[in-house]
Amino acid sequence: MIAYTVPLFLRGEVITEDMVPFDTRVGAAQFQAPDMSKYVERLPLKSPAEMSDLYELSFDEILDVLEALGDALDFDTNTHLQEAYEASLVANVLPPEMMQNSYRVLQPLFSRDNVTEIADSQVGLDYLNGWVPHTLHDGRELRVRAFGSRVLHIPAGNGGLVSAVTILRSVITRSDVIIKAPSNDPLTAVAIARTLADVAPNHPITRHLAVGYWKGGDLAVEEALYQPQHIEKIVAWGGLASVKHVTRYIQPGLELIALDPKRSATIIGHEAFDDDDTMREVARRAATDIGVANQEGCANARVIYVLSGTDADGLAKANRLGELIYRELVSLPAIISTPPRYPNRELLDHVEASRMTEDFYHVIGGEQREGAIVVSQFDEPVDYSPMLSGRVANIVPVDSIDKVTAAVNAYTQTIGIYPESLKRQLRDTLPLFGAQRLTSLGYACNVAIAAPQDAIEPIRRMCKWVVDEECEAGVVIPLWKLTPA
Amino acid sequence: MTGMTVTEKTARSVTDFMDDPISFFGQSYTQMHSIDRGELEALQRQAMGIRFQQHRASIEMLRKLADRLGITALNDFNDVVPLFFSHTAFKSYPAALVDKKRFDLMTKWLDKLTSYDLSDVDTAGCTGIDDWIDRLDEQTPLEVITSSGTTGTISILPKDKHGARDGMTLWKICLFQTFGQEPTERELNPSVDVVWPNFANGKLGHLRIANMIKGGFTGGDESKFHALYPFAVDTDLMFLASKMRAAASRGELDRLQIDPALAARKDEFIAMQARQPQDMDAFFSRITEQLRGKRVFMLGTYHLMYDIAKAGLERGVRNVFAPDSAILTGGGMKGVALPDDFMDVIKTFLGVDRIQVGYGFSESSTFHWGCSEGRYHVAPWVIPFVLDPETSEPLPRTGVQTGRAAVYDILLRAHWGGVISGDEVTINWDLKCPCGQASVAFEPEIMRYSEKQGVEDDRITCAATHEVHNEAVNFMKGLDL
Repeated sequence: MIAYTVPLFLRGEVITEDMVPFDTRVGAAQFQAPDMSKYVERLPLKSPAEMSDLYELSFDEILDVLEALGDALDFDTNTHLQEAYEASLVANVLPPEMMQNSYRVLQPLFSRDNVTEIADSQVGLDYLNGWVPHTLHDGRELRVRAFGSRVLHIPAGNGGLVSAVTILRSVITRSDVIIKAPSNDPLTAVAIARTLADVAPNHPITRHLAVGYWKGGDLAVEEALYQPQHIEKIVAWGGLASVKHVTRYIQPGLELIALDPKRSATIIGHEAFDDDDTMREVARRAATDIGVANQEGCANARVIYVLSGTDADGLAKANRLGELIYRELVSLPAIISTPPRYPNRELLDHVEASRMTEDFYHVIGGEQREGAIVVSQFDEPVDYSPMLSGRVANIVPVDSIDKVTAAVNAYTQTIGIYPESLKRQLRDTLPLFGAQRLTSLGYACNVAIAAPQDAIEPIRRMCKWVVDEECEAGVVIPLWKLTPA
Repeated sequence: MTGMTVTEKTARSVTDFMDDPISFFGQSYTQMHSIDRGELEALQRQAMGIRFQQHRASIEMLRKLADRLGITALNDFNDVVPLFFSHTAFKSYPAALVDKKRFDLMTKWLDKLTSYDLSDVDTAGCTGIDDWIDRLDEQTPLEVITSSGTTGTISILPKDKHGARDGMTLWKICLFQTFGQEPTERELNPSVDVVWPNFANGKLGHLRIANMIKGGFTGGDESKFHALYPFAVDTDLMFLASKMRAAASRGELDRLQIDPALAARKDEFIAMQARQPQDMDAFFSRITEQLRGKRVFMLGTYHLMYDIAKAGLERGVRNVFAPDSAILTGGGMKGVALPDDFMDVIKTFLGVDRIQVGYGFSESSTFHWGCSEGRYHVAPWVIPFVLDPETSEPLPRTGVQTGRAAVYDILLRAHWGGVISGDEVTINWDLKCPCGQASVAFEPEIMRYSEKQGVEDDRITCAATHEVHNEAVNFMKGLDL
């Protein structure tokens, strides 16, 4: 059974021919997409000179187009989005109410204010729109401009927002973009592209966007496309296998911008236990960090270090906090969090084993696969912590702040911290171990786009920073006049 | 036994059936697989109920689980399903206990998993897992088996010496007898050399079996035991590899503290690996010259057997062993395809009439032997289940059912016998197998769920998983058991 079709959006043209089937994660259901080996030659720009039309656009015009796009991304009226939503019910692990909500949050992303803030703070409008002059110490005049590039994106599919952000970033940098649609979010990028074609038919922005699906690792497509004469940069999100796989194509002239697979952690100070109201507030915030989008994301809380102490009193506090977090977790509204549709069987087996190992672990919930809190009864996380997902978190009581650096390692992205004073205390240390983003507890999954991501500035990296130098021989000493030192 | 009615026999012998099935079936493979299904099931039900009461009293983790679920007795087969242990139950101890050499706490943990009382075990000064297992060997009826895992811990299965002895007797019965023929003296007490294309010794999974086989098949005669590699692999090294794998998957290799003694052994192990080609040559000469024409028992995975056979045929060697030798293989294909004629290659080299295959998993104790039709017939003291892979609910015991294999193994006394595997199996409950055996059988196609998943899945999320991010544990690649 073909559950849905992922058309090829080729620079304004929608292609639904030469279909080949692909398996989905749901039983017998398949989806179909045009056989990309037949179209791969048409994916890249024929010549980089064709990008010049993007430079005839004023930034105001870019804002106009994106605003119109945003206005048209109204879930109730946009049939492309509705189609994408239907497909996501088969392709994605998240439940319907959450998927639908993820489409409703796309619209404000493209507002004038939002786009301007992202462009100005993450690159600089001056650099995007012209040559920015600067005089160097030796007297030469520099003029720097951020040019777009020919970029291939391999976005993560655990939320439609990633595809939307990908398109936004590409448009503001005046890039030529090819997006490989993720199999777990097959249609969001296509839906946005088709909407763009509706509001701005034959516009340069539309003509510099291609979206299609091929199976990750399809050599017939990738070896033809991933070449420096076709693309200059690959932006690869998450997915260890996917990022590792892409590295084989990296060579001079073809750069990888890797938004590596990441995990996040949480640190809660002893202040959380000051009084019942505070404890409940902390529990609600921690539960939110765990529960958003069912803990599928990199920013979600998984291991939660608590400065409760590890004596009997400390363990009692940690267990009590665990109970409160569990209660808040299962009370989160369905658009934020639900019991996972496809819980990880291996993880649940480990949780059940921990439940039987009372000397070391106290397990709260989990019997209905609704999520669970495993409270360590000593100062180490569970050995299966890398598997934590589907609303299963591990609370680790610790005696001192020295121990919390264990929460952070080379794969750490976000650290949610309570209270703010503790965050300030830790912010110069945790980055040394790998932390990339420190945020107030409860906001881990409330991610700002107008900020660096994964300790890099991906939008800046997508640009080519081109220098025009002007050297007056009378000011900058020319090499031909150099005397021996 | 002739003339006795089914009812009398059942009433008389449930204790014999569950505590000494070998005698109960007259040491006969044919009898084991000829018993009437209805009669057997009645015995199994009773035996399961009795064993549950014994284990409920003696195994704390089982008692707590049963109490929590409000289960006080087992009457029907499906009653046991909520009480099944997954492999995770045998690795639920914190790995930190091993790092901190808290083998007193490890013993306390294991005590709750086994029916034996471990409260008097002395672990003072214990240096590592193998040392700890030696102490348990010396001080208790246990004969612990370990196996590798992916989460930084290894499974610790509290098997016992009694079970090991029985196990080897059963292996001999299954290996040397032919269904339909009552056993001869030569089959009951075979004199064989053992060919063991593996590391000579160790506490780890199959390696522990090396010693059991040595005892069971050669009476402990080292000269009749021929191992491929003349050294042991210690569990502590495997634990290190497992820990490194886990640290790599967490992004924490930079802060992994390695016990210096263990680090030294790692180098030793790498040196041993470097010597493997010479060891292989020596082993090859030994089996093709010293053991030429002899009756042997040889066991190894398909891949090992095939590699040895192919190398042998290339050297022009064939028909190495006596035709009535026992050859046992299995272990799955581990994702690498062998040529279609691989069995013929193995047979031609070894010179044997039949190659036997078996199916089992380490949390259970029993191997289920393949029949002439390729099905794995379930031993009579094991109650097989096919579970829904998602919900773990039992599928009906009728028709053809595919799902996750689980067993209740009545023979297991040292630990709880209800265990869930990681394997997808099919049972045709209504089948009367053309091989003539009356027993229930697993169909030939068996696949690990872990190998099944991800085959056709290229979905990407931004979250890191427990995949290993680098090749930190390259040094363990030669030890793929």
